[in-house]
Amino acid sequence: MKTMPKNIDIDPNKIFAKDFLKSTELPIHQYQKSIDDELKIHGKENLKEVLRHMYIVREFENMLNSFKTTGSYKNIDYTYNGPAHLSIGQEAAAVGAAFALKPEDKIFGSHRSHGEMIAKGLSAIKNLSRDKIKSIMQDYNGGKLISYVHKNLNDKEFDDAEMFLLSGVLAEIFMRELGFNKGMGGSMHAFFTPFGTFPNNAIVGGSSGIAVGAALHAHLNQEESICVANLGDGSTGCGLVWESMNFSSMGQYKNLWPEPYNKNPPMLFCFMNNFYAMGGQTLGETMSWDRLSRIATGVNSEQMHAETINGSDPLSVADAIIRKRKLLIEGNGPILLDIECYRYSGHSTTDTNAYRSRDEIKHWKFFDPIQQYSEKMIEAGIINKNDLNNMSEKVQNQIEYLTSKVVDRELTPSIDIEKNPTIIGDFTFNKKVISVSKITSDLLKNEGEVNQIKSLQKKSRFGKSEEGSLLSGMRAITLRDSLAEAIIYHLSRDKSLIAYGEECRDWGGAFGVYRGFSDIIPINRLFNSPISEAAIVSTAIGYAISGGRAIIELMYSDFIGRAGDEIFNQLAKWQAMSAGELNLPIVLRASIGSKYGAQHSQDWTSLLTHIPGLSIVYPATPYDAKGLMASSLCSNDPTVFFESQRLYDKVEIFTENGVPKNYYKVPFGKAVKRRSGKDITILTIGASLYAALDASMELINHNIDAEIIDARSLVPFDYEMLLNSVKLTGRLLIVSEAVERGSFANTIATNVSKFAFKNLRASPMIIGSPNWIAPGADMEKTYSPQSEDILDLVFRDFFPEKRINKRGLRKDWDFLDLAKKGL
Amino acid sequence: MTDIIIPNLGNEISEAEITEWLVETGDDVEQGDVVLLISTTKTSLEIEAPTSGKISQINSNEGDLVQVGEVVCTIE
Repeated sequence: MKTMPKNIDIDPNKIFAKDFLKSTELPIHQYQKSIDDELKIHGKENLKEVLRHMYIVREFENMLNSFKTTGSYKNIDYTYNGPAHLSIGQEAAAVGAAFALKPEDKIFGSHRSHGEMIAKGLSAIKNLSRDKIKSIMQDYNGGKLISYVHKNLNDKEFDDAEMFLLSGVLAEIFMRELGFNKGMGGSMHAFFTPFGTFPNNAIVGGSSGIAVGAALHAHLNQEESICVANLGDGSTGCGLVWESMNFSSMGQYKNLWPEPYNKNPPMLFCFMNNFYAMGGQTLGETMSWDRLSRIATGVNSEQMHAETINGSDPLSVADAIIRKRKLLIEGNGPILLDIECYRYSGHSTTDTNAYRSRDEIKHWKFFDPIQQYSEKMIEAGIINKNDLNNMSEKVQNQIEYLTSKVVDRELTPSIDIEKNPTIIGDFTFNKKVISVSKITSDLLKNEGEVNQIKSLQKKSRFGKSEEGSLLSGMRAITLRDSLAEAIIYHLSRDKSLIAYGEECRDWGGAFGVYRGFSDIIPINRLFNSPISEAAIVSTAIGYAISGGRAIIELMYSDFIGRAGDEIFNQLAKWQAMSAGELNLPIVLRASIGSKYGAQHSQDWTSLLTHIPGLSIVYPATPYDAKGLMASSLCSNDPTVFFESQRLYDKVEIFTENGVPKNYYKVPFGKAVKRRSGKDITILTIGASLYAALDASMELINHNIDAEIIDARSLVPFDYEMLLNSVKLTGRLLIVSEAVERGSFANTIATNVSKFAFKNLRASPMIIGSPNWIAPGADMEKTYSPQSEDILDLVFRDFFPEKRINKRGLRKDWDFLDLAKKGL
Repeated sequence: MTDIIIPNLGNEISEAEITEWLVETGDDVEQGDVVLLISTTKTSLEIEAPTSGKISQINSNEGDLVQVGEVVCTIE
């Protein structure tokens, strides 16, 4: 007997066998190398550089601290209004790690990552060739920053590349146009990718999944580099961090992925464990672990090769990173390092240290990384006291010199918003579009050899028979089929594109769009993800900013909430927060459910249209679904692609020749007229098209000729077509299945009132779902607007003189009373 | 005599395609054996023998579209 395909058999005999779960000891502070050992490995000059880099990081943050707390630094007066989450005391962790990393390794940080970013930049400058550095500096921002350095920070005593790095970071922190992200990121988000520093993240734990996505990209592209998420100890309380640790160690890499991908992505989780999360104490108060590395035992049998490292000694940190890097390159990730360190500075500069004793801080000063390391270097004869003082003094001069120029608003201005008031908006979308190769490559089978895809060839492209009767979805191309055609076209031809989500392979996707795909696309480019919505979105971001493209699937749009931060704060914002340095070519498929009740049937389009930074489309017909999917997969902007489960079986009835077999695109921002009329414009969003069409047929019987416009694209939205229509009809009704309160339909209605007031004969109206839960299948028609509800509203609000017997469920609702009750 | 019919798979689904017959006329089947695979617009399904017996009649071919409720096979 034939069975359904399966990848890993679950054998009950093995499952129920008596056994003990084994775990092994994890090293805690086992670093034992002597300074002589380290000298042999690194040489004298490098060990001295470690000290100098720690001085730079310390002095840079002393400067910020001084501005925040006194308004001046070494006679430079400046009011800095932004945040300063300092890591004074943690320099060994930042510099030690950076010292061991290669320029091509990528680090992703937290809100407290100035030090890590500067240290990694200094390390890259130390290790890259001068020619390479020169071209990086010339290429960046049209050479403007390096010209600034050569003009204003030209004291030959200081290396121009270091001044380039430091001025790019400081200008970013001070929100100036010459900052690495034109001041759009600021203190908590500064990064510069050519030196291997990637977005720092103001959301605790936010970097974890992004870094895993970057590691996946490095892995699939066979790069010899690793990705590091620098996270705080507080982030061990965040769901995304756990999701990301799991995502980077999924069993499928080694069990199911083909050579050479049957290894784990090179992902290093570095927890900069300073024992405080804001004022909460992770050790003993807010977390359950006794040592942070304990959490690794919950992730995989390798226990993430975890170690607890002394983060006050840069060489112990570097030693660990060197050893772990090797393991990662060999495919043995992910790895967890618990780097114990201490910040003397508060969480931010407004922190009065109410949560810890002065004695504790004093005690930790005996373990000050710079102090300890300096003594060690002097003791070993690597540096003498005099040279040490000179080094410290030179660094102080370097930071003072840098600061004196960067604070100067005339020399180093912010972007000119007065001159160009919408310039920040210009960073939102890049509007770049790729073209796809016509040639397929690296497929397991061709489309024509796979039954589920081949069967589409037999179907009619148009949804009606020659006699005009509606064809079933088994006989004509459905919206589901048309999505499949666009997606498999791209997956077969665009090797940079990967697809994943909660069931994407043998099942064919939760709603059957990917049926047959797993016979065509290898598992390393089309895989099942864990039920980790946050990590699905977050890893896609990391994959995309590393140069790849991703189409990800969340099953139900209701699950958007599980990826809330990743969609609202990350996916939507990184293009603008990087001032366009990053592109996020990601398509997020979100399916609006039906029949499964309150947590599976919400139209959440309005939730996402509220978030600036996302392109949002919602096709209602097979023709549009295929064409908009093609546009989405070509777009370099992040796109949320809404699909309605009620429409998956819809056949094409509007476009006469049906859904073209060939590849084509429907552009973003273009609505489509489904019916011409002169008395009222009905704008529909998504699935509500069909109820509105039914209503328009009945309206004709009452001599009301409705024009129906299908929005298709919500962000951007086609105001031109709508306003032209309203100009003729003078009346507007907007139908959406989103709940009415705060709905995007309200935004459009308000805008039309604003833009076409003189053309309106009545106030624009909207109808959506009521402000309560979506009920189960049998009651669903009482919820989303039905054609009867649309008819009642049209007669009541636009044509009262043609009043008919009301028929919809809402006919006797007291809308004001409901609104007062919060409903 | 027992008929194998195309089950009701939800309101919207009225037809299915016979993807593959796993038995031929004259085969003996046990209750629960998968006798055919069908596909709908959304998914693929295995149809099991509701009883043990001999396949006496097969009414449709692979690739045929069949209606929900249609008898596709008989077991004696």
